[in-house]
Amino acid sequence: MDQPAVVTVRFNKFLPYWAVLQTDLRQTLRSWVYRLWVFMTVVAAAGFLLYRVGVHKEAGIFHSAAGQCGDLFRIMVVGSLAVVVVLAVSAVGAERGTVADSVLSRGISRHQYFLAKWHARLAVVVATFAALATAVLVASYLLFKSDAESDLSLGGGLAAVVAVSAVLAAIVSWGVTVGALANGTVLGITVFWLVLYGAGFLLSLLPEPYPSPDRELARLKFVLMGHYNGGLLTNLVLGSVVLSGLAAAVGVLGFGKRDV
Amino acid sequence: MADDASELVVETQHLTKIYQNRQIALNDVTLTIEPGSVLGLLGPNGAGKTTFLRLVLGLHRPTAGWAKVFGRVMSPNAADVRRRVGYIPTNPQFPKGMTPISYLDYIARLFGLPADVRKPKLATLIRAVDLLPHSGDPIVHFTPGMTARLAVAASLINEPDLLIWDEPTHGLDIEARRSMLELIKTLAAEKTLILSSHNLTDVDEVCNHAAVLNKGQLIFSGTLQDLKGRIKKNHYELDLDGEQKAITKAVAALRGLADFKQVLLRQRRLEVKLGDDTPNSALLAQLFQVLNDNKVSLITVRSVGMQTEQAYLDLVEREENRGFARLYKDVEAA
Repeated sequence: MDQPAVVTVRFNKFLPYWAVLQTDLRQTLRSWVYRLWVFMTVVAAAGFLLYRVGVHKEAGIFHSAAGQCGDLFRIMVVGSLAVVVVLAVSAVGAERGTVADSVLSRGISRHQYFLAKWHARLAVVVATFAALATAVLVASYLLFKSDAESDLSLGGGLAAVVAVSAVLAAIVSWGVTVGALANGTVLGITVFWLVLYGAGFLLSLLPEPYPSPDRELARLKFVLMGHYNGGLLTNLVLGSVVLSGLAAAVGVLGFGKRDV
Repeated sequence: MADDASELVVETQHLTKIYQNRQIALNDVTLTIEPGSVLGLLGPNGAGKTTFLRLVLGLHRPTAGWAKVFGRVMSPNAADVRRRVGYIPTNPQFPKGMTPISYLDYIARLFGLPADVRKPKLATLIRAVDLLPHSGDPIVHFTPGMTARLAVAASLINEPDLLIWDEPTHGLDIEARRSMLELIKTLAAEKTLILSSHNLTDVDEVCNHAAVLNKGQLIFSGTLQDLKGRIKKNHYELDLDGEQKAITKAVAALRGLADFKQVLLRQRRLEVKLGDDTPNSALLAQLFQVLNDNKVSLITVRSVGMQTEQAYLDLVEREENRGFARLYKDVEAA
């Protein structure tokens, strides 16, 4: 008697990673936290730009474009930080004990799950910030390019976007790791907020040679004018890559040993 | 089924879980599950049933001991073993904004199933669990019965050899519960199942093996017949038909028999308790003879108290009464 044909299913071992990545991207983009963040940033940026156009066209008063964009960037970063922390920490933390049951009980390893979540949140936060910041810079540049006193440089703008994105990438990476290792999402968010804002406050008390978030953000207007050090920018990006990689390593190893 | 017929599907050795040095959820559980078994995992609330299942799945890491599934030690990263397992948690949660189609597609991708395999499979499953008219509706609006059916489909999408269902009939109405039990019976023909349940009637109906956990400890592991064999089958209820005078006369005759410890008549329902010295089959034959002699018809006859439930309660009660003797006695296994 003929043996029945054996159908062997070839499993795609990267498919679980892509499934979690795509689902998380979609769900993050639909989440109210993300939409609130984008809405508030767009409203603030539009207000700033309209104010500049208004005082320039109507009153003939010129404010430094780089200075205004620098201030806007600072507000965007400080204002976004709270929401970015929520988005990052909740990536893994919010699903533990509920949805994670339905996901991690399938054919996906903890490593793949963590990496997919990390990459999804990293992509959403960095891409969103970069897109919003670039839009602000392009709008500002186009609106005032005919103005002889416009001090905004395209190269400087790009450098500023890259610098802030690098810092955000490191924050998101550590946020996802904290969420994966903390016992609860609220606890993780609270601890991470305290660490970030506390570290920022303590650094601002230190004298000039030490880096301080306040001082670095205040310097953004000079970067936007094109006065930046390429070496420092490269170091910043490399530092972010190292910190993000370290966060991911801690997260992958730690989450692989956690109960969900 | 498992690659090798002799391969144990699940094997645990001294499996212990202590949460943060505060709560002993599972204590030294050693258990084996053979291919083709339908194991009912029983125990009161907090007995450690869900913890046991989560350890078997690798969602939790044991504090001590190990759990093997298909011969492989389970760990959080044992994804290839979990490809052969279908799991339904107690209260299945679903990602927001998904429909049955997108959810099953997501689950199939989590198993690494390519599109040409998963798409036909999910369509077949949606049809099989009767969700075709709702296949495009958001899951968030589903009733508990529809949610349970979707969870069943998700647990079957990878054609698993082992099914682990944590309280699958929890929260279902009578019709949905009946469908679920029939499905379990069908699946039992070709798969190994572990069912955690509070409902002993369900376990009695579909399981052939049982494991009883109490306060984190395994107090019984064996066949359902072994579990039932622990109680004395000597208490019966009979619904009778015939003239009341004839029934009364038959009851009087029964009361005169030595091995009938208790004979109670409530209208047309007769309750009898039999003695232990004579085989119950012989005593029941006597009873039927008396009824026949008095021209009393029998409508129904049943054993009082669900046997599995009684056996389970006896086990738990005996375990509670053992005190420090628990330290020295092994699990009562068949």
